[in-house]
Amino acid sequence: MSHRHSIFCIIPPHMLKEIAQRGSPVQRSLALRTIATSGQIRSQRTAWQAGIAVMAATASAGNKQRAIYDARQGSQLPGTLVRSEGDAPATDIAVNEAYDGAGVTFDLYYGVYGRNSIDNNGLKLNSTVHYQKSYDNAFWDGGQMVYGDGDEDLPPAQRLFNRFTISIDVIGHELTHGVTQYEANLNYSNQPGALNESFSDVFGSLVKQYQLQQTADQADWLIGQGLLTANVNGVGLRSMKAPGTAYNDPVLGRDPQPDSMSGYVTTTEDNGGVHINSGIPNRAFYTTAVEIGGFAWQKAGLIWYKTLSEKLNTNSNFQNAADLTFQTAGEIYGVGSLEQNAVAKGWQAVGITVNASGGIPTPQPQPQPGPGCLTAVLRIFGLAR
Amino acid sequence: MTRITFQRSGGFTGRTISLTLNLDDLPPDQASTLNGLLTNANFFNLPADSAKRPVPDEFTYTVTVETGQQSHTIRTSDTSAPESLRPLLDDLSLRARTQRA
Repeated sequence: MSHRHSIFCIIPPHMLKEIAQRGSPVQRSLALRTIATSGQIRSQRTAWQAGIAVMAATASAGNKQRAIYDARQGSQLPGTLVRSEGDAPATDIAVNEAYDGAGVTFDLYYGVYGRNSIDNNGLKLNSTVHYQKSYDNAFWDGGQMVYGDGDEDLPPAQRLFNRFTISIDVIGHELTHGVTQYEANLNYSNQPGALNESFSDVFGSLVKQYQLQQTADQADWLIGQGLLTANVNGVGLRSMKAPGTAYNDPVLGRDPQPDSMSGYVTTTEDNGGVHINSGIPNRAFYTTAVEIGGFAWQKAGLIWYKTLSEKLNTNSNFQNAADLTFQTAGEIYGVGSLEQNAVAKGWQAVGITVNASGGIPTPQPQPQPGPGCLTAVLRIFGLAR
Repeated sequence: MTRITFQRSGGFTGRTISLTLNLDDLPPDQASTLNGLLTNANFFNLPADSAKRPVPDEFTYTVTVETGQQSHTIRTSDTSAPESLRPLLDDLSLRARTQRA
């Protein structure tokens, strides 16, 4: 984590130059350091923004290496290799969905965030389809993606789930568990676990939005749309826009996700409700993205990605995520920017107030009453009272 | 009498499903099948907890079997379950997930 003083960002360069030229030795030294620091922040911000444009324009090359295996309804992983990078499409739709979905996920991470695969070092993307019989699930086993066929081998009237490769956001979700493992490595229980789940839903949904080139207000913000059969009364497994409303069905029951902290569920099941309470940070991201507008992967996604890859740790909770996304937004887009305010609104919508000191480090000692940022810095230099 | 209590938790859907079966109440062929699966799994000698650290989105299974003489509870998961136990987990999962809530 960096220890920049973002308070310095807003001092006009010409004023800092004046101080550097005319101030006392201490003042000059401080001013020179500030010029260097703020220049670094500006150039970093510019680099991120330019980088997005350049990488999006040049499309992705990167080291995209995919391999799809078939478990043939057994439980041995990875199974039999059925399609490698560059091979023509197979006749098996699950194989092709796993291949294509992994490709779009790679392209989002590489093309938008400059990340070279799950480990940022070109890790081969291995996926296994047809895992076990009637397996209504998908998971990341620490090294590869694994997909079941849902209920596609049951009589049609009994089927609840289609094959798990059918929704591209499920594929993005599983691959993102890999990214999280290599970055914040959030513990898979309670709030860190729910954050782990939420980051997978966020980037799973962004993979789908990226593929469809949808803006935040055009996207459905559903996880697992298309996964439920016509026998189920539901539109998907989770709704990031309106957690708790994805399904309500005699067999599946009701979508149990809370949409704010007031509904936080304490349970020992599901590793402490990691797939339940993830609705809270999911909606914070949705609200932030809609507040910013445009393509959600560009700004809201970048804020969340940098927070995941540079700030969070294994024990981070919801409040930490709120504070650190807010801080990151300030670093990328500026303190008090529309983007940073959108992050605060996103978390506020779910009942979490960001700790502003996470984004605006205060100088020591803090003058009373709180002066403007410029005044505070000038006081440090002894140029204001 | 033999009673099986089953719970499957976690998974991508986060949906917990559970089931209690009294083998005496089942049609004889089904009871026989389940007894066979318990025997093949060597159920009463399985370790109590074979699940490793949590694997994102995999299922976790808890199975208790009570007979007049003994009772045993095991906890396991997709990536850690012994092969001999999988047919029993498959059978119980299918029963649990097709029953109406």
